[in-house]
Amino acid sequence: MLLDYDRMGGLRVALLGFTALVAGFLLLPVVFIVLLSFGSSRWLAFPPPGWTLKWYQELFADPAWLDAALTSARIATMTAILAVAIGLLASFALVRGRFAGREILRGLLLTPMVLPIVVFAIAIYAFFLRLGLGGTTIGFVIAHTVLALPFAIIPIATALEGFDKSIEDAAIVCGASPLEARLRITLPSIRIGIFSAAIFSFLASWDEVVVAIFMASPSLQTLPVKIWGSLRSDLSPVIAAASSLLVGLTLALMLVTALLQRKFRT
Amino acid sequence: MTHPFLSIRNLRKAFGAIVAVHDVTLDIPRGEFLTFLGPSGSGKSTTLYAIAGFQDPSSGDVLLEEKSLLAVPSHKRNIGMVFQRYTLFPHLTVAENVAFPLRVRRRSDAEVKKKVADMLALVRLESFAGRLPGALSGGQQQRVALARALAYDPPILLMDEPLSALDKKLREEIQGEIRRIHRETGVTILYVTHDQEEALHLSDRIALFKDGRIEQTGTGEDLYLRPATDFVAGFIGNSNFLAAEHLDTINGTATIRMTDGSVISGVRPNGTFGKGQKTRLMIRPEAFSMERSPASAELNVEIVDIAFYGERRRIVARIAAGQEVDIRPTSAAMQSQGVSPCSRQVFFDPATAFLFPA
Repeated sequence: MLLDYDRMGGLRVALLGFTALVAGFLLLPVVFIVLLSFGSSRWLAFPPPGWTLKWYQELFADPAWLDAALTSARIATMTAILAVAIGLLASFALVRGRFAGREILRGLLLTPMVLPIVVFAIAIYAFFLRLGLGGTTIGFVIAHTVLALPFAIIPIATALEGFDKSIEDAAIVCGASPLEARLRITLPSIRIGIFSAAIFSFLASWDEVVVAIFMASPSLQTLPVKIWGSLRSDLSPVIAAASSLLVGLTLALMLVTALLQRKFRT
Repeated sequence: MTHPFLSIRNLRKAFGAIVAVHDVTLDIPRGEFLTFLGPSGSGKSTTLYAIAGFQDPSSGDVLLEEKSLLAVPSHKRNIGMVFQRYTLFPHLTVAENVAFPLRVRRRSDAEVKKKVADMLALVRLESFAGRLPGALSGGQQQRVALARALAYDPPILLMDEPLSALDKKLREEIQGEIRRIHRETGVTILYVTHDQEEALHLSDRIALFKDGRIEQTGTGEDLYLRPATDFVAGFIGNSNFLAAEHLDTINGTATIRMTDGSVISGVRPNGTFGKGQKTRLMIRPEAFSMERSPASAELNVEIVDIAFYGERRRIVARIAAGQEVDIRPTSAAMQSQGVSPCSRQVFFDPATAFLFPA
């Protein structure tokens, strides 16, 4: 291959340098936020004059923050369950189905990934206002499920495409009804895809802020909305602590996914 | 018992304008090992899938002990099947794979345990019970698939080119296993393959498919020694087809004139031919001999090449018209000094040569 890494010679160093630069540019802000959340300066000065855990204490002492975190977790969990359930059925239709308009349906289901998020947010806000779903948990979950669906469908459909249908046929010949064959053989066989879908859709809701701002009410706020709101009123290191927790859970879930995928592959 | 065990009646399957199976009728007695042999696209797999219930035939019927199977969904047909591709359940161990059909039938734990042990013993994979399919070789996977397909004592076992993904040596080994298992269990087997050697080696009878129809059904010997059509003659074993002119047929034996003018009597006509009709004479490469015998006919050839193949020699010769003839004499007497590139006569028994329409 023309761009074979082993044959690039001196270019390799340049490529490594460039990659490191991009990675640094993307990651450094996050690293700084985490560092600042442990810094003793009230004004987020860097380098911090000292190290402390008091912002975390303040964070956990404030019921509003805890409430926001629990709300986020609740909505993200429901979103993940709903997105995986719908994504599973949609994937079967998209991968196995032979019907007119299949490609259009695929495109439609994946649209939320490319649609400017603010456009979607305004549209669904206006729509939910009429239905009376604005500011409700149900409305929140529905809106986030739409956003999460592409992240559920892509891994499940990929896993299903890689699964030989003959294996399902074999289960049916063995005496399992088509439904039983799918539940006992096909689903366990594509479980990596389903698991990835669950994590990705959870995260799609967990760190989503734009739609959340439109869906939120004073009594129903997710963590990103609460961070956003606090940011506008005062710039406290508690926000850095909250952001670090947000990043921490995201990282942990990604790590679990990576580890599981490695385990399944061997 | 007067009725056949399994009966395929006027089966036809069309996919839109494409007809995969035209009209297949076949009776299979209990315990038979029958092979559907044919080139790809000849309808043999489609017929098998219709029996399994994965394809609904356009018309015709499949009867098991006189009861139609068509209205019975696949999972209730109680048929065993081994597929071309590896179809073990990847997340279940070997033992759990074999147990699966028994579990869906809600058999007792004790029965499942015993049957799984029996089946793994049958395919000689007892020590692999706890492994996952991914840790098994292709040959072992197909043996487990066989054990799984036989675990519920199905009356019929369907096998769709189960060995095509394996290398030659392994294939022969597992062919031996399949024969032994057929002997030991007495299960009726319908086997699909495009490999004539595999079909000859395994089957009691072979149904040779061509273009969605059965060209001939019979034992391997029938198909080899008494081919009904030139397609059968060409597909089973190796064959030379030489142009000839039909002169006369008396008492079931024909007299023909070869392109070099020589006349041969006593060949077996496949069909009726008129005087002077253009025909093709089929001679098996191994029917040739280098020595004249009382009954033999002769063919004038020019020897072009002699190759040594271990158990036999292969001679490439050419007749006057320029066509090449494949000669593989079985005679051990054939020493290399006996044949060298030259013009000479080779001999064959006309009773082993068949005349087909041109």
